[in-house]
Amino acid sequence: MTAPLLSVKDLSVTFRSDDGDLTAVRGMSFDVMPGEVLAVVGESGSGKSVTSLAIMGLLPRSARVSGSAMFDGRELIGADLKQLRKIRGKDIAMIFQDPMTALNPVFTIGSQIVEAITLHNDMSDKAAWERATELLNLVGIPDPKRRVKLYPHEYSGGMRQRAMIAMAMANEPKLLIADEPTTALDVTIQAQVLQVIRKAQAVTGAAMVLITHDLGVVAGLADRVNVMYAGAVFESGDIDDIFYRTANPYTLGLLGSIPILTARVSDKLTPIPGAPPNLRRLPEGCPFRPRCVFATEVCHGSEPDLMAVNGGRHRSRCYHIDKVAEARAGSTV
Amino acid sequence: MTQPILEVNDLKTHFPIRQGLFRRQTGTVLAVDGVTLYVDPHETLGVVGESGCGKTTLGRSILRLIEPTAGTVTYRGESVTGADKDRMRQLRKEMQIVFQDPYASLNPRMPVRDIIAEPLRIHGMDRKEANDRVGALLGKVGMMADHGNRYPHEFSGGQRQRIGIARALVLDPSLIILDEPVSALDVSIQAQVINLLEEIQDEFGLSFVFIAHDLSVVRHISDRVAVMYLGQVVELADRNQLYETPAHPYTSSLLSAVPVADPNAERERKRILLEGDLPSPANPPSGCRFHTRCPIAQDVCRVDPPELREVSAGHWAACHFPTGPGDSLINQVQRLGRDLRLVEAREH
Ligand SMILES: Nc1ncnc2c1ncn2[C@@H]1O[C@H](COP(=O)(O)OP(=O)(O)OP(=O)(O)O)[C@@H](O)[C@H]1O
Ligand SMILES: Nc1ncnc2c1ncn2[C@@H]1O[C@H](COP(=O)(O)OP(=O)(O)OP(=O)(O)O)[C@@H](O)[C@H]1O
Ligand SMILES: [Mg+2]
Ligand SMILES: [Mg+2]
Repeated sequence: MTAPLLSVKDLSVTFRSDDGDLTAVRGMSFDVMPGEVLAVVGESGSGKSVTSLAIMGLLPRSARVSGSAMFDGRELIGADLKQLRKIRGKDIAMIFQDPMTALNPVFTIGSQIVEAITLHNDMSDKAAWERATELLNLVGIPDPKRRVKLYPHEYSGGMRQRAMIAMAMANEPKLLIADEPTTALDVTIQAQVLQVIRKAQAVTGAAMVLITHDLGVVAGLADRVNVMYAGAVFESGDIDDIFYRTANPYTLGLLGSIPILTARVSDKLTPIPGAPPNLRRLPEGCPFRPRCVFATEVCHGSEPDLMAVNGGRHRSRCYHIDKVAEARAGSTV
Repeated sequence: MTQPILEVNDLKTHFPIRQGLFRRQTGTVLAVDGVTLYVDPHETLGVVGESGCGKTTLGRSILRLIEPTAGTVTYRGESVTGADKDRMRQLRKEMQIVFQDPYASLNPRMPVRDIIAEPLRIHGMDRKEANDRVGALLGKVGMMADHGNRYPHEFSGGQRQRIGIARALVLDPSLIILDEPVSALDVSIQAQVINLLEEIQDEFGLSFVFIAHDLSVVRHISDRVAVMYLGQVVELADRNQLYETPAHPYTSSLLSAVPVADPNAERERKRILLEGDLPSPANPPSGCRFHTRCPIAQDVCRVDPPELREVSAGHWAACHFPTGPGDSLINQVQRLGRDLRLVEAREH
């Protein structure tokens, strides 16, 4: 068996503040295999971004991080800045929802990609500029020879997103972390950018952690999925397990909440009742319990572990996996 | 035949672009540029399109929150665009609007009860009666009566949207324009609000203009759907007709771009990828505005703007080469011998 590229174990993140501590990530464990696309889904505030920022060492000092994240044999949690800088932008690259968090408005797109390349490679300026142009071509920027010399504000939103992807791919990272890479884009531009991500990932063979709340994007891109709720993984499995053999009430709730584009008759949506949890005051027992239609007495006790479903890689944090599976099989979706 | 509750005829809303020291007009944004549509009683008309295509401007122009440049709006046979100030105040009771960001539209210094009751007081209802009505409405939108004493910042996004809906209902309107009412909400909360809208529509016999960019949500909630591109309606049809047999190449491309939350469907899908970005509504392309991105554009499309024509009963499209029944955009592209920028679904 191949070893995971990234192995996260018992990762927790707590923010200290005057109104009390807020634990945004609670004992997360997951692996990313080489070349695989792992989607991380969950609603706003479930800890998706904080998890990836913790792994990259990009959280503010107010954050207390514990646990382990082994990347290619190296421990990332607690690593010093010098080590992290060597890894960031080289072996692990990130793309964000807002490309301007990665692009500097006062430098040309080309010079920023060139800098990213020469920082980690012994390459002549001329070769680096050629490579930058090639990369822009790879991500589908028309007329890259001319556009490599333009500034970010001279690009459209979709083009900036592509330029950021080009920069992220510059050093052929082993792992790409993409945090809502297409959320801000129009649907026809989103389709173009998703295609670019697919292609860039196929060309370089990079593994990817794709953070999104769009289950459509997940269905079109991911190999595996982590469903997050209240700072923990609630269900984890291959994409078909998650969509067709759903084993967690929260995932089932998410799937019931979204209308399907191709549905001829619109059955009433089945939303999740109630509101997302307050992380400062999680309920006793299972944090999803107050919104869960399957909850029973046992759910008030201790929080369930992430348990294997059918003994495979498919896992669910729930005492009522069987009942959920039954409900899933009975539903039309 | 029933009389439509709302008729919009060749509506145009143009914004001047002013620049320089003397704020001289240097151009014009054709935000809404010749929209014609109607809404029947108890019907939901969905309006979809990408950012900047003029959806919000259309919604606000219908209520004259933005004064249209040309064209007419008619409510139950009466001219809205021709109404004087007093009459307009009366008409606004009948036609309400709900915004995407309820927070920006709720006065932060007023308790929720007063926010919802404000229109009642403007229209002269006494306090006791107003309070009773607000209490009942809070219940209708799934909140508790004592929530009325709290302030907007104490509520989550979904709750604020419920407050916005309660306020829209307070004057007992017949038509509500919903401008991206669920776009800012998490999916589980989005579904709650969609269900709430469907319930109040049935209960109060409301008509909706539902503006959104999420095509799945629009199909779910609408009876008919209008697709906008650069200030114009390019296609309008019954929702199943529009989604299953789109006639306009823009609609086809838009639908094919939407990711579907079904891995098997995604594996089989072929996507038509539109090239390029949206042109600016300040400087729209000549002829058919879609021709710069259209995979089947021909010479005539560059010069001649197509009219919105009825391609089959109740199905309207503004295209010189609409996709016929039994045909598809992909076939049309192939017949033209063009390079199909088709994307096979994911590899496995
Ligand atoms: N720097 C910070 N200081 C304090 N709290 C923070 C900080 N960053 C994030 N949080 C909190 O941690 C929780 C998780 O945030 P996170 O950004 O990971 O959510 P998310 O799942 O990415 O949500 P979204 O879908 O909205 O991006 C939230 O409650 C958030 O308010
Ligand atoms: N007050 C204004 N002055 C000048 N231009 C405006 C004004 N309001 C809107 N516009 C322009 O008119 C066009 C249509 O804008 P509108 O807000 O109606 O689009 P939309 O379809 O609602 O977009 P979105 O999906 O982003 O909400 C855009 O190009 C916009 O920049
Ligand atoms: Mg986030
Ligand atoms: Mg708008």
